[in-house]
Amino acid sequence: MFKAIVSSGTLRAALDSVGVLVDECKIRLDEDELTIRAVDPANVGMVDLSLSPAAFESYETDGGVIGVDLSRLEEMVKMASADQLVHLELDEETRKLHIQIDGLEYTLALIDPDSIRQEPDLPDLDLAANIVLEGSHIDRAVKAADMVSEHIVLGVNEDEDHFYVDAQGDTDDVHFELDREDLIDLTAGDAHSLFSLDYLKEMNKAIPKDAEVTVELGEDFPVKMHFDIAEGQGNVTYMLAPRIQSD
Amino acid sequence: MNLGEYFEEVSEDEAARKRRLAREKSYEITEYLADVERQFDDAVQGDSLFGSTSPSIFVGRSSYPNVSAGLLAPVSDAEHAAEYETGPHWYRSGYTISDVFQARTNLLNSNQRTNVHVADEWDGFTGVQREVAIADRPVDVEVGLDGPLDVDLDITMEDVSSPTGPRATAESAELTENPHVPRAVEKTLSDDDWRAEGAMTYLYNRGFDVYDINTILSAGALGQTRQRKLVPTRWSITAVDDTVGEFLRGSIRNAPSVDETKVWYNEYLGNRFWVVVAPGDWEFELVELKAPGSIWNWKQGDYLVAADYENYEGRTGYVEETAGAYYAARLGALEHLADEGRQAKVLVVRHVTEDYWGPAGVWQVRETVRNAFSEGDPGVAETFHDAVNQLTPRLPVSMNRLRRNSEMVAGLQSSLADWGVGG
Repeated sequence: MFKAIVSSGTLRAALDSVGVLVDECKIRLDEDELTIRAVDPANVGMVDLSLSPAAFESYETDGGVIGVDLSRLEEMVKMASADQLVHLELDEETRKLHIQIDGLEYTLALIDPDSIRQEPDLPDLDLAANIVLEGSHIDRAVKAADMVSEHIVLGVNEDEDHFYVDAQGDTDDVHFELDREDLIDLTAGDAHSLFSLDYLKEMNKAIPKDAEVTVELGEDFPVKMHFDIAEGQGNVTYMLAPRIQSD
Repeated sequence: MNLGEYFEEVSEDEAARKRRLAREKSYEITEYLADVERQFDDAVQGDSLFGSTSPSIFVGRSSYPNVSAGLLAPVSDAEHAAEYETGPHWYRSGYTISDVFQARTNLLNSNQRTNVHVADEWDGFTGVQREVAIADRPVDVEVGLDGPLDVDLDITMEDVSSPTGPRATAESAELTENPHVPRAVEKTLSDDDWRAEGAMTYLYNRGFDVYDINTILSAGALGQTRQRKLVPTRWSITAVDDTVGEFLRGSIRNAPSVDETKVWYNEYLGNRFWVVVAPGDWEFELVELKAPGSIWNWKQGDYLVAADYENYEGRTGYVEETAGAYYAARLGALEHLADEGRQAKVLVVRHVTEDYWGPAGVWQVRETVRNAFSEGDPGVAETFHDAVNQLTPRLPVSMNRLRRNSEMVAGLQSSLADWGVGG
């Protein structure tokens, strides 16, 4: 059993954060939270999302997992304006999700969860640097790097006590530095890793510009980025595998 | 053999190279064209009837969809018509750039303005052209010509299709023998509801090389009947390389990785190819280094560098810098991996030396990469980056320039599985 009412803004933010990596996913409907964990087909980026029942106007479930075609569901939810409420109800018999938005009714056929790629485990990585910054800073760095290159270095200089972004293209370079004053918080430790901009651009789309984003970084290690959605009643973690540089 | 010794072996004696350059950059082509004109006059009976044996067709792309569609047939030497068709035999016979141009010069393109929407049109000139395309050996034809011979070589700077030779406008064409059509082609032809991509892959799996498939596709003989149309030769070559490549990429998607880094080398027609094959999930890049003085780089004093890349999930758009060479090189690499049942990270570095004075067509990229794997032994390196570090001194550009231009040299994509992400 699953029956919920949620603002379309909250639902869209949640779905979009997953949709930038995968086309279909499993949604776990537990009594104490709704969670989605997915890894992209290339096994390079993953997302871990949770929404607490407090993110919903109402939330009732007795547990279960459903498989959804995310792009279809996102399309339907886009029909609502941000403050409109979306009613969701699972029909166990037909394995369909009924979606109702202000008189509009949709029925979404679900996908067999067993046919969807297994959910990844999120490993504990001991990452040396921890940076907390505004989503708008990430947006700025990604957009600037994208003008010159397909990849981007994220790093922390422990001695200089700053976070930096480097992008090298065929002929042009971008360098962007944020020191302790520009950042919300910084635990400095030497870090320097290269990432594909294709992935970061997609992830950036889902990061609210006014969000506080915690970035964990290491030397030639994956990056983890955490931020809240749904006014603190939900959170998203991205993890992205690095491109390994030559020595 | 370690990589160092391997490189010693492939480095070329400079003096020998210069001699070969002098010999190959002969400009006999114009004289040859005059011969062709004389032979053409001999070959044409009466006013305008030209009898020969046609191994292939050519579809132009200007004024699309009203394109120039032509039968290719040798002006002289009709009994060896098959040799004039572009294919792996040119590589095997060691054709030089001059040989390529001469072969093309002797191949008359008798053409007609034709709308590409041919659907099930199998009569008249279009019908003859399509019959020739689907036959697996050259077909005797008689062409009624209208108007003079245009002997200029059509040399494109794009280097996708091979250069084309003299042209004449055709009024009519007739088959003078029954073409032999392979059963698999008849099957794709008779199925009017088979998408072109699937039919191409079917033919490839039945042992047809991309050259044959390209001609069949070009004649509009693949795909759902109402959508069948002539495909300009240049587009068709890349479409087939891409489609067959996508099929092969799918076939190794879940294959285990190669277990060591190898570097293969091959050189042909003034083009040197280094193919680095390294462990990991599929990634591919073609980096082209074009010498000043080679065909695309007349004005520049420095090397031009072009590169295109795809990750594990392939490309979503057409390449931006390396055109048809990308798909041809990728096909050669994928054929090797599919053969071995492995996936890998593959970097192809193409050094276009100044010896490459005329565009021979993208077949030379395909054949040189294909044969890199079968001729000679590869060098072995500890890692991809070791291989690139040892390779760089043999290349005409610095490591820094290479890193700036190459996604893969800048950094290889790791997998989350390398970091303990199960799933």
